[in-house]
Amino acid sequence: MSKNVPQYDVVIVGAGVSGNLIAKELGLAGKKVLILEAGLEVPDSREEYMENFYLALAKTPEAPYPALAGRQGSQVNPVGVLPDPSTLPTPRATVLSLGQSPKTSYLVQQQPFAALHPQDPKPQNPPADDKGNVRGLQFSSTFERNGGGTSWHWLGTSLRELENDIRMQTKYQHAVDWPITYTELQELWALAEAEIGVAASTAQQEPLEVVGLQYPPGYQYPMQAIPMSMVDQAVSNGVAGLQVPGTLPDTPGGGDPTLYDVFVTPTPAGRNSEPYDDRRVCAGNTNCIPICPIQAKWDPTVTLGKALDTGNVTMSYQSVAYNVAVDGQGDTQNATRIDYYEWSRDASGAISKVSKSVTGKVYVLACHAIENAKLLLLSNNWKGIANISNQVGRNLMDHPLYLTWALAPQPIFGYRGPLATSGIESLRDGEFRKYRASFRMEIGNEGWNFSKGDPYTTTMDFIQGTNNSNVNPPPGGSGQPVRLGGLKLVQQLNNIFTRQFRIACMFDQTPLAENLVKLDLDEKTGKPNNVDGLGLPRPKVEYGLDPYTMEGFRMAAYVCTKVYEQMGATEFTTNGVGGTGDFTYQGKNYHYYGAGHVVGTHVMGPEQKSSVVDASQRSHDVQNLWIVGSGSFPTVCTANPTLTLLGLAFKSAKSILASLGS
Amino acid sequence: MRRLIFLLAATLLVPARPQTPPPIVLSPIIPGDVNVTATTVSIDTFQPDFDVYSWNTFIALNWPPAANGNGDPNQTIGQNGDNDTVWEHYRDVSDIFLPGGARPTWNAPMPIPNACKVLNKGNLEVVTQIGKNLLTPAVVSAMSQPFNTGPIIDQNGVYTRFQILVNKTMFDYILANSLYSKAGQKAFTPPVNFTSGSIDNNGKTLVEGAIMVKSAWKVIAAADKARFHSQDVLVYSPASKNPKYPAKCMMKTVGLVGLHVGHKTQSAPQWLWSTFEHVDNVPTDADVKSGKLNAQYNYYNPGCKTCKVNQIPPRPWNPTKVSAFHSQIVRMNQFNLPIYAASAAARNSDAQKLLLGVNPKSVWANYELISTMWPTDPKQPFGAPAPTFLANTTLETYIQGTVPNVSSNCIECHNNATMTVPVPSDFTYVLQRAQ
Amino acid sequence: MTRTVPPAIPILDSDIQDFADMSAALTGFQSSVLKPALDPVGLAREYYVFAVQQVGESAMATLVNAYRAIKTQPAQQIADTLLETSGASPSSQAQLAQSIVAMWYLGSWYVPGVLGGGGFAPPPLQVISSAAYTNGLAWRVMQSHPMGYSQFTFGYWSQAPGPLSSFGVNTGNGGGGQ
Repeated sequence: MSKNVPQYDVVIVGAGVSGNLIAKELGLAGKKVLILEAGLEVPDSREEYMENFYLALAKTPEAPYPALAGRQGSQVNPVGVLPDPSTLPTPRATVLSLGQSPKTSYLVQQQPFAALHPQDPKPQNPPADDKGNVRGLQFSSTFERNGGGTSWHWLGTSLRELENDIRMQTKYQHAVDWPITYTELQELWALAEAEIGVAASTAQQEPLEVVGLQYPPGYQYPMQAIPMSMVDQAVSNGVAGLQVPGTLPDTPGGGDPTLYDVFVTPTPAGRNSEPYDDRRVCAGNTNCIPICPIQAKWDPTVTLGKALDTGNVTMSYQSVAYNVAVDGQGDTQNATRIDYYEWSRDASGAISKVSKSVTGKVYVLACHAIENAKLLLLSNNWKGIANISNQVGRNLMDHPLYLTWALAPQPIFGYRGPLATSGIESLRDGEFRKYRASFRMEIGNEGWNFSKGDPYTTTMDFIQGTNNSNVNPPPGGSGQPVRLGGLKLVQQLNNIFTRQFRIACMFDQTPLAENLVKLDLDEKTGKPNNVDGLGLPRPKVEYGLDPYTMEGFRMAAYVCTKVYEQMGATEFTTNGVGGTGDFTYQGKNYHYYGAGHVVGTHVMGPEQKSSVVDASQRSHDVQNLWIVGSGSFPTVCTANPTLTLLGLAFKSAKSILASLGS
Repeated sequence: MRRLIFLLAATLLVPARPQTPPPIVLSPIIPGDVNVTATTVSIDTFQPDFDVYSWNTFIALNWPPAANGNGDPNQTIGQNGDNDTVWEHYRDVSDIFLPGGARPTWNAPMPIPNACKVLNKGNLEVVTQIGKNLLTPAVVSAMSQPFNTGPIIDQNGVYTRFQILVNKTMFDYILANSLYSKAGQKAFTPPVNFTSGSIDNNGKTLVEGAIMVKSAWKVIAAADKARFHSQDVLVYSPASKNPKYPAKCMMKTVGLVGLHVGHKTQSAPQWLWSTFEHVDNVPTDADVKSGKLNAQYNYYNPGCKTCKVNQIPPRPWNPTKVSAFHSQIVRMNQFNLPIYAASAAARNSDAQKLLLGVNPKSVWANYELISTMWPTDPKQPFGAPAPTFLANTTLETYIQGTVPNVSSNCIECHNNATMTVPVPSDFTYVLQRAQ
Repeated sequence: MTRTVPPAIPILDSDIQDFADMSAALTGFQSSVLKPALDPVGLAREYYVFAVQQVGESAMATLVNAYRAIKTQPAQQIADTLLETSGASPSSQAQLAQSIVAMWYLGSWYVPGVLGGGGFAPPPLQVISSAAYTNGLAWRVMQSHPMGYSQFTFGYWSQAPGPLSSFGVNTGNGGGGQ
């Protein structure tokens, strides 16, 4: 191999949403591309993944994908034995490992009180500091490391951001602006919507002009909208006329007493409402997360197929990048090589690895917000690269997710259709964003599956006479949990299940420099505290919430309660104490989940001193390095990130092509 | 339901019981439905009746046609070794769903693609598909296979070709309801309801229902013709943008390696699904494990110790070039009950004897039934099909597992079929091709 | 899914039938739904074999014999008797009956007598098989389908589902069987 001629035009790390799209665009333009994918190959069919799902004890987002929990449960290991990340070549964050020690959790982070003091009868939440911030919370979103990446299990929600989402600093003096215009994003969203195949109708989205959702005149989505579910219809009818203030009355500074209309709109979604792109129409398998059995929902393997069709894209699976070599100083830094481990495992599970290198003219890091940051920090002998701004790994954000659930007064038939088909988007923007985090409200079609692990919990309650669901005993009885069988069991369960529904609120959390991912190294010795199966240091996460975000929770709890009241529904939301995702704000306990929306670890911005990449996701510091994905988001905004991150990937591809002189 | 009524009648009448299962017959009459003569209700007793239906269907469809398109009563299948067939005069779907949604006709000559015009001598057929995705220039690919599986490539590096045709009954329904165009489908009032076949109490066909046939073809040498039903055809690859290659046309002799027959019948609103393969296609998983291999297969190289089995060819897929990758295919066992394999084997033996009795050189004796899928409980949307999984190694090569909703199950997959508008299309994917 | 080893003692068809009829009474579904005459999946046999492996021939035989003794009673009565629904704490035989109900409803084996806690169901030992999951009755009870396995077609979710009786529930007033 000639020392000076790069082996490829572009080397991409990560075969996920961004990586596959960029590979496709470059391949179509005749560029030679190598994708280094840490994990296993895309399987020839989804039989294996689907069987993993069917047999999983806990049907979490990661359940279908490799490196599984065991399939036998017990009191000691209720969800099966979980693998030790230090024995895995590509461990990743999983829902089942949340709150656990590094023996189980790939991400090294503060464990909750209950995990550290399991015998203590009075679990506590972490205290707030003198500014009201709560630190030491668990970052609860997870990801995959395999061909196709995390968006194997995205829900499909393809909402566009709002105009003010990307100019929070200018409009609301909070956080930062995005270095891109709404007009340009509209062009990028159109490209992303065509790539995915998004089903929606602009006419149905028109009421959201009040929150700054605008479409270019005459814009048409690729496919007609997905019909609303019975649950959507019930919520929509139930909230008619409901208004809520921007902030609650006791907000310091006066807040935003404006009344906002609460209404339901269908959600644009990356699932087929017509045969599209060789894929079938949605059959409402209600399983988008963790896996659509029939691929009616787009996933990145679709785009990967097209990338491979160009004949210009080569895959290297089981290839874990661990170093991006960079030459030069200051403004003239150049990436020259990527070092990676090619790993394999024998029948006994023993890992062997070979260190290899590859060169390209351009390098693209596309391996997820957390792994991108980790790779940047690992590079240059763990001193880090592309980090003049000192923002790599910082500003880690999610949409923390606040879940509420209720029983409708009449059957509304959840557990049917895609997991979510509508939401309340009408509260996503307003003056209140000066005072508290905004949120969107996702109406769930899956009953209490997410909320309470149903139908398992309630079914076992009525079979065994327990009350883990809080609906046993049914009202009007003896007051003691009942045990039922036969038709009585059927009727009681039918009565409950057909009325179950939930609303999830997802917050535009503040970017904080102290919310971060870094290498888990000993402060004094610099040696890793925890490694993975390849000997690489594991990521350490520090996370918490600020009062701005937590005030959003307070508002969301209020709104959900009002929605349920207006519907005549009975709310069943409970929040624990001392567990993963539990916190206290103004004397009330809340619980958040991760939405799986990991953003912020390599923010985009106009200036090198305060951001990692520019609007094309090109590194400010290393001129032939692009760092792509939702890690580039300077704020998490109010829409689910996949559509926007895919749109940005189109922009990145274009800028890479321009830099290659074509 | 027909079969229950029949059973009741059977117990009341005294005269001679019908044979169980009914015989496979050399007849050009396509069975209108399954003739259930079983006297007890179980899958073990019913499956043979369905497999007999499948063989009688195979024989009638492969019967030499008369001028009117039906089987010619003056000829017998295979009497000269090989013969033209009834189903090959059905209408190819690419000639039904025309550009601009133009109205098709049953008998109009097939348009010859430009790339073929130089080669075309007379009324040659055009066989186009390279995989489960039909890539014709103007139409978004029609076959909705899950996860875009892939082509199956023979031991010479040549892509297998597919063809989908429908009978006059099915064609007439499409025509009468203007379902051949997007506009017509939009204007249509659901439900789509193709004509159901039926039989009388003696098993005699009353109505031939909608039938769709999917055939798989392998390019063969002239020397191999004795073992295949074959045709001389124009093998056409339309131009493709991604992967990028120009249109190509070649005149080739192709041999039939796989045949699907779907038939809508009164007893089966979810249709009856029969699938046949050439006997030389592949070894079974059990054969491979026990080392009991033939010298040669259509899609398996017994001499290759390192070839990974049932692996999709690497992209890009370019059918205009000879492929370095050859598919190494094995038939996996998908059956959870012994009756499926046992019944198919017994019917295959009977049918092959019958066909060889017509002519020891009958090419038709080189085909075997894999099984017949039928709804055991038509009241359910899926119909609780038996068997629970069924694949043809040439047509569902890569989903031969036993995972519900993913592994090959004719009815489960076809239940998802819609028109170009998301209206259920009555278990057929052909309507998606409308322009 | 690895199949478990069949028990040493041969299983009679009548055992499976009685097990299915008993299960019908316990679950509130029709016996012809749990064990149809035309049975491509064979769940009743699969469940019977699995349960026997878990609790032993003797415990299963005792329960099924208890069913046989009362099989002509109305289905609800059979269920309440075998499950001891009005008793203070169920016997181990009733707990086995509970696990059988759970098996049919959820496709998983729950160890008899192990209760849930902390807001969630007890941990199952395992999902019995993919077919067990996709045939779980709990999803029919909610007039829907298992998550991941829909027999319905596009748009069904915007309309109300069919009645409970169309999902195989025994809403009739018959005895333990169909």
